[in-house]
Amino acid sequence: MALSVDSSWHRWQWRVRDGLPQSPSEATPLLSPEKGRQTYNLTQQRVVFPNNSVFHQDWENVSRRYSSNRICTTKYTLFTFLPQNLFEQFHRWANLYFLFLVILNWVPSMEVFHREITMLPLAIVLFIIMVKDGVEDLKRHRFDGKINRSKIQIYERKEQSYVQKCWKDVRVGDFIQMQCNEIIPADILLLFSSDPSGICHLETANLDGETNLKQRRVVKGFSQQEIQFEPERFHNTIVCEKPNNHLNKFKGYMEHPDQTRTGFGSESLLLRGCTIRNTEVAVGIVIYAGHETKAMLNNSGPRYKRSKIERRMNINIFFCIGLLFLMCLIGAIGHGLWNGTFREHPPFDVPDADGSFVPLALGGFYMFLTMIILLQVLIPVSLYVSIELVKLGQVWFLHNDLDLYDEETDLAIQCRALNITEDLGQIQYIFSDKTGTLTENKMVFRRCTIMGSEYSHQENAKRLETPKELDSDNEEWTQYRCLTVPARWAHGPATMRSQRGAQPLRRCHSARVPIQGHSRQRSMGRCESSLSPVAFSSSIEKDVTPDKNLLSKVQDAALWLETLSDTTPAKSSVSTTSSIADFFLALTICNSVMVSTTTEPRQRVTEPPSTKALGLSLEKIQQLFQRLKLSSLSQSFSSTAPSDADLGESLPNIPVSDSDERDDTSVCSGDYSTDGGYRSSTWDQGDILRSGSATSLEEVLEAPALGLASPELCYEAESPDEAALVHAAHAYSFTLVSRTPEQVTVRLPQGTCLTFDVLCTLGFDSIRKRMSVVVRHPLTREIVVYTKGADSVIMDLLEDPACMTDTDVEKKVRKIRARTQKHLDLYARDGLRTLCIAKKVVSEEDFRRWASIRCEAEASLDNRDELLMKVAEHLENQLTLLGATGIEDRLQEGVPDTIAALREAGIQLWVLTGDKQETAVNIAYSCRLLDQTDTVYSINTESQETCESILNCALEEVKQFHEVRKPDHKLFGFRLPSQTPPPTSGAAVPDIGLVIDGKTLNAIFQGKLEEKFLELTQYCRSVLCCRSTPLQKSMVVKLVRDKLSVMTLSIGDGANDVSMIQAADIGIGISGQEGMQAVMSSDFAISHFRHLKKLLLVHGHWCYSRLARMVVYYFYKNVCYVNLLFWYQFFCGFSGSTMIDYWQMIFFNLFFTSLPPLVFGILDKDISAETLLALPELYKRGQNSECYNMFTFWISMMDAFYQSLICFFIPYLTYKDSDIDVFTFGTPINTISLATILLHQAMEMKTWTIIHGLVLIGSFLLYFVVSLVYNAACVTCNSPTNPYWVMEGQLADPTFYLVCFLTPVVALLPRYFILSLQGTYGKSLISKAQKIDRLPMDKRDLKIQSWRSRQRPAPVPGEAQPTHHPEPPVSEQGFRASTPKSSRPSKRKYKENWVVHGERCSRDHMRDDPCSGDSSAKLSSGEHLLLGPGRTMASGVYSSGQTDAYRPSNRGSHRRSQSSLTI
Amino acid sequence: MKRTPQDCPSRLPENTAVKQQQLPACRLQLSATGILSGFFATGVFCLGMGVILILSAKSSMEIEINYTKICASCAKLRENARNFDKECTCSIPFHLTQTMRGNVYMYYKLYGFYQNLHGYLLSRSNSQLLGTDVKDVETCAPFSKSHDGTPIAPCGAIANSLFNDTIILSYKLNSSVHIQVPMLRSGITWWTDKYIKFRNPSSSNLSSAFAGTTKPPSWPKPVYELDENDPGNNGFLNDDFIVWMRTAAFPTFKKLYRRLSRTQHFIEGLPAGNYSFNVSYTGMEKLKSSL
Repeated sequence: MALSVDSSWHRWQWRVRDGLPQSPSEATPLLSPEKGRQTYNLTQQRVVFPNNSVFHQDWENVSRRYSSNRICTTKYTLFTFLPQNLFEQFHRWANLYFLFLVILNWVPSMEVFHREITMLPLAIVLFIIMVKDGVEDLKRHRFDGKINRSKIQIYERKEQSYVQKCWKDVRVGDFIQMQCNEIIPADILLLFSSDPSGICHLETANLDGETNLKQRRVVKGFSQQEIQFEPERFHNTIVCEKPNNHLNKFKGYMEHPDQTRTGFGSESLLLRGCTIRNTEVAVGIVIYAGHETKAMLNNSGPRYKRSKIERRMNINIFFCIGLLFLMCLIGAIGHGLWNGTFREHPPFDVPDADGSFVPLALGGFYMFLTMIILLQVLIPVSLYVSIELVKLGQVWFLHNDLDLYDEETDLAIQCRALNITEDLGQIQYIFSDKTGTLTENKMVFRRCTIMGSEYSHQENAKRLETPKELDSDNEEWTQYRCLTVPARWAHGPATMRSQRGAQPLRRCHSARVPIQGHSRQRSMGRCESSLSPVAFSSSIEKDVTPDKNLLSKVQDAALWLETLSDTTPAKSSVSTTSSIADFFLALTICNSVMVSTTTEPRQRVTEPPSTKALGLSLEKIQQLFQRLKLSSLSQSFSSTAPSDADLGESLPNIPVSDSDERDDTSVCSGDYSTDGGYRSSTWDQGDILRSGSATSLEEVLEAPALGLASPELCYEAESPDEAALVHAAHAYSFTLVSRTPEQVTVRLPQGTCLTFDVLCTLGFDSIRKRMSVVVRHPLTREIVVYTKGADSVIMDLLEDPACMTDTDVEKKVRKIRARTQKHLDLYARDGLRTLCIAKKVVSEEDFRRWASIRCEAEASLDNRDELLMKVAEHLENQLTLLGATGIEDRLQEGVPDTIAALREAGIQLWVLTGDKQETAVNIAYSCRLLDQTDTVYSINTESQETCESILNCALEEVKQFHEVRKPDHKLFGFRLPSQTPPPTSGAAVPDIGLVIDGKTLNAIFQGKLEEKFLELTQYCRSVLCCRSTPLQKSMVVKLVRDKLSVMTLSIGDGANDVSMIQAADIGIGISGQEGMQAVMSSDFAISHFRHLKKLLLVHGHWCYSRLARMVVYYFYKNVCYVNLLFWYQFFCGFSGSTMIDYWQMIFFNLFFTSLPPLVFGILDKDISAETLLALPELYKRGQNSECYNMFTFWISMMDAFYQSLICFFIPYLTYKDSDIDVFTFGTPINTISLATILLHQAMEMKTWTIIHGLVLIGSFLLYFVVSLVYNAACVTCNSPTNPYWVMEGQLADPTFYLVCFLTPVVALLPRYFILSLQGTYGKSLISKAQKIDRLPMDKRDLKIQSWRSRQRPAPVPGEAQPTHHPEPPVSEQGFRASTPKSSRPSKRKYKENWVVHGERCSRDHMRDDPCSGDSSAKLSSGEHLLLGPGRTMASGVYSSGQTDAYRPSNRGSHRRSQSSLTI
Repeated sequence: MKRTPQDCPSRLPENTAVKQQQLPACRLQLSATGILSGFFATGVFCLGMGVILILSAKSSMEIEINYTKICASCAKLRENARNFDKECTCSIPFHLTQTMRGNVYMYYKLYGFYQNLHGYLLSRSNSQLLGTDVKDVETCAPFSKSHDGTPIAPCGAIANSLFNDTIILSYKLNSSVHIQVPMLRSGITWWTDKYIKFRNPSSSNLSSAFAGTTKPPSWPKPVYELDENDPGNNGFLNDDFIVWMRTAAFPTFKKLYRRLSRTQHFIEGLPAGNYSFNVSYTGMEKLKSSL
């Protein structure tokens, strides 16, 4: 067999790599040659010796090299704190700048201020941050200590028993014994579990927030153990990979004393931080400890993103530096010139200490540096601190917004990045995932096709169309639940938090309180039992209304199944009845769904009932029993997994002596007792029924088909699709009762329980796009492979009908296949997710051979995944198609509305999805991303040349449109059209949508066609990228972000969106059902897509406008104040004197003018939330950076100069020639500038709340109080200059009051004038909106309506529809032939389809695995390009304007495109 | 069903005005009516204040006499450093056409004297002037100590450059009788300066209090001989000294020198007539009277 050769070659290769360097190098000193052990290369592998008597020596040698389990997440120690913290703080250039100034001030000839005083601000800032860091570090230290001191049972070699020790004492190689509900202290390889099947259940909520239980299984060969695990008898060495941060990747092998190896993977690894559940005792050996655990390695600190405003701010700070330089230069030159005017030194020119005078040039240079010190405030260093504070405030408000709170999940918005709130207001492009983001990711079984016949499930569809009722039900239920939820769930995460504390698992705050385990039972008795936080089981998903037609057939099938004997050969597989039975069995079995009961939420039903009950007729059961007994003698099946060593040969005939009873009863009857008695008698898996004591079993027995519904069973699935399928099967009474790794029990409609032995499970992965389960059919004893997967993949793996012997059968198979394909296309067009179900019967021998190969592959260390995949391929072929399912993924609430609003706000929305094109396009239509009247270009090609020419054609055509429409667009370059709203006049020209798939994207990226692609997208209303990989998603985001230099936002919910979320300027994670990876990598986490509307339009706008205006104000403030000092230099010989006391200057910045901008930045609302939501156009202000750009910056600079001139020269003229002294002159100036700056702030504030008023007035009063106290307090405080009694003196002087009144008035006059002009005659959106805001409520609504109608004078009928259409309209017939609007002759529509249609499905798959030999032929055939008719169409369309000449392209084309072509 | 909040511990944000940013607010909108009314109100107020100020300014009277050129010979004499202790006086006559009523103040005014120069400004010792420690001359560089290391009292550049012209105003009652106009040298300082900021070192004898210090290099006599007649005006408490030590904000400034003692002929102020004043030393002087 080719494969075995392959894998053995790999193995050999691997041995060569590791085994050959046998020479005992220095790297392996631990080797004692006399022991004759194999060499281990410690630089590439980790070798773990168990800490028992046998390996003690080795253990001591090796474990010393591995880090211990003591964790230390603190940054500093007691001794390194001061230097290290200072070192880190001086990484910020602002601090360095300050330090530079302080040092400068220490040079005697440049001393402006008191040396010690100059250090003060810096010291204060450093100290505050140091304290903050210190406290944080202390907290971390405390938590570390707490964690390190947690207790755990460690095996002690000397005492030969488990001893309780601290976590920190855990060493690599130690044996650890863990009890239920204990937290795992390190990464531990599971060697023993009290569970007889060797399973250990984990809750990983601490790691990834997923609340469903994960299973970990004991390393192969250790599953059959006695009651207790004996560490002393563990004689194996463990070799595995070096520590890395892949949570789900782990491989290694265990070397037995006899040199044989057992492989293991991540399924045996217990990760640090997880919690043991449902397992009484688990024992394992520590593999990674402390900081080498995967949880710790995964813990990277918070990311730092720089917001757009900050980037712009930095530029402006450079302007400020330039300004500072200029002013200093003026000062230096001025000083030189002034000095030059004296022929001899005047008495006031003070020489140096030694009596000599500084030469002119040097004096100028000194003066330059002095001026830098003097004017240092020009660089607004306090701005950084203020911005941090403002953002904290903004984040606080975001957190507290009720509208962004989701009741269902009890989650408010989470801001994970604290420093980019204002970027929310400047977004230009949104990249959205589809599944789970636009849609609910609540998979609902909609319809299915079995053996070519379609079952449309009308009632089910109807049920889904009325989601409101259900939702309201749920809502009430949730509320009720909320009340009855005992402290367990509420406090659970909290206690967890306190335990884990700062232990930086990152997850702490996102451990959610799940209240989505909706159950529709409302009785009091049940509510307790339905608290289980089971994912994917909302009522909408759970309840599937069966199709009546199918239901009867299913019952037939089930009956047939009951009577099935082992004599029925594979022939029956063609018959419809058996297929239906197989189909539903596949739905039930072929998944990884876990069953749990709701009474004890975390108690799994893992053990199949040993004696199955639910009798039909006694005779029948006995009959079955007899039959089975016979068969089990010849063929036994073990309920325990064969150990790896003997798996290969033991499969067919394991001598089972002790498992006879179990085998015998795998299908049997049990219920002989009367109805009262079953609980006590046979059904000892009572936890299923015990839980639902209220459930009457009679009901079950009486109406098995209707509601066998044992509501106590909860399904925990890894993906929602799986849950949906299981629930669907459940609706047809094929109920998954329990699942262990070895066995699956299914309850049939009649109540019989069938227990399948699971021989192998080939899990789902995104490359294979399918999963398979190999089971032994309990009735027929056949080995059956049930496969489920993407249609594109499965269709290629089906058996070749041509090989069939019987032509009838062949025809039938072909027909079924064709019809199924038709149905699949239909489903896809309806936006359903399709899955194909297939089966295959394998002969014993084939399977045995295959199992041995797989076993080998599992043991390999390198290329394990690859090998396993190849092995899987060998089994998953020649499948028989059973049918397909269509699962609906419903649109989330409010999505179309949100998209419409975002678009109105000028944001381009792209959808990047891994889904099929048809599904994606459908969702796009239903969420109004695409309009029926849009022209949609679809580009599906793989070749770069084709792609380029298509892009060229499309571009040409699109440009023609736009040139005809409005040639002026071209003047501004191509970016403009995307940002300007669609012109109202050109309603005849449709908007353009672009649909592109992953392969085309590849071609674009490889063929350097990015520019053209982007240019085309500029004209598009929306862009859809289907079938794109996570990497492509992030590439697209990066492309748009970098090439167009726009602000981008990515939103997604799944692990596949992580790269995209990280690539964008803002990443938003939706804390939905698919785990927490997206949330973990995001900057903001919301719970619904619709929250994006308020987040961007309201909070984004506010945050942006607040912060932007605050930044501008800060620049203004500093320049204005510093210039006062600068003007004074003209009157003091440019000597660097200040007329204001230094303390008062510090206070001025520190206390008197710092709070109002903060309040302004946190609280000001330029426009109310209602208006912002009603008029999304207002968002464009942020997009165009209207609040803070070069213009506003320079305007405010000019204003600052003007105001400082006024503030200085009015007092100057007042006090000129008088006997005023320096500080008495400074006081009115200080007061005036304070008044001016505060009043300026007051004019900038658009809303005045009581806080604003208090802060402003408070600041002003504080100034007087502080000045009075300071000026009266001490005589020699700020020696040698001191302002003793100056303020008091001034307050007694009427001139002071006059000056203080007149100057601010004059200073603020221009701004006042302009602002009031704007307020009166302003034509900008903002000022209009502000005017609207001032109107009373009712008038405001009217005004907004009239505004909106003005914006769009001729609304397209399509757009005038109410935007609340959460669901695509589903017609009764299932599919619409064509959309009504498309048939309107008035609309010119163009539909081009460049669909290069190769063998799409096969290519998809082959491309992923290009090295597989047998697929290469297909691959090359796939390259064959079939260029659709669209290319020739492109030119023709435009000239003639009629498109009916062109036929719909082909299968892959979209229904709307077809309909449109018939105009 | 009873609903109590503690039953439902959740992350539901509180619905308070502050947290939901719904505080009652008034929107500030600058509109034409608002601005015009505000503008005119301010304008009227400013106009009124202006009128009052102009009227009050009109009622005060000021005479400025520049004696630098007239006493040029003295200036020349002073240029030679060796002549610094030579007396040089010059007399300048002027005519007052109108009686200066009320309090009359005599100022001296210096042009282009940068008392606000940074280095100059700092060169003083407040603690020395406060009398706590006469020898505290740390901040006085370069005028902290004399060549032999004795601390200077009062130290520093400001003190060193003390304005020490003596101006005596005399009134020509008629062509022959010249009466010296009685001038008060008290009450020309800030009260806080005279009584809080400046204190002589406590000692029985002023000269002993300043023992161990020397006079500033430019001074003709030590600080305890500034006014030997009036102990309240001697040493650091000398009014002229205190006034000088309050450094002026601009290079052109005036400082209060004397105020009229309203006795005898001068009860109503300075009567009209011919005056002359004698200046010893150089500098610029200006006479000003105001109500």
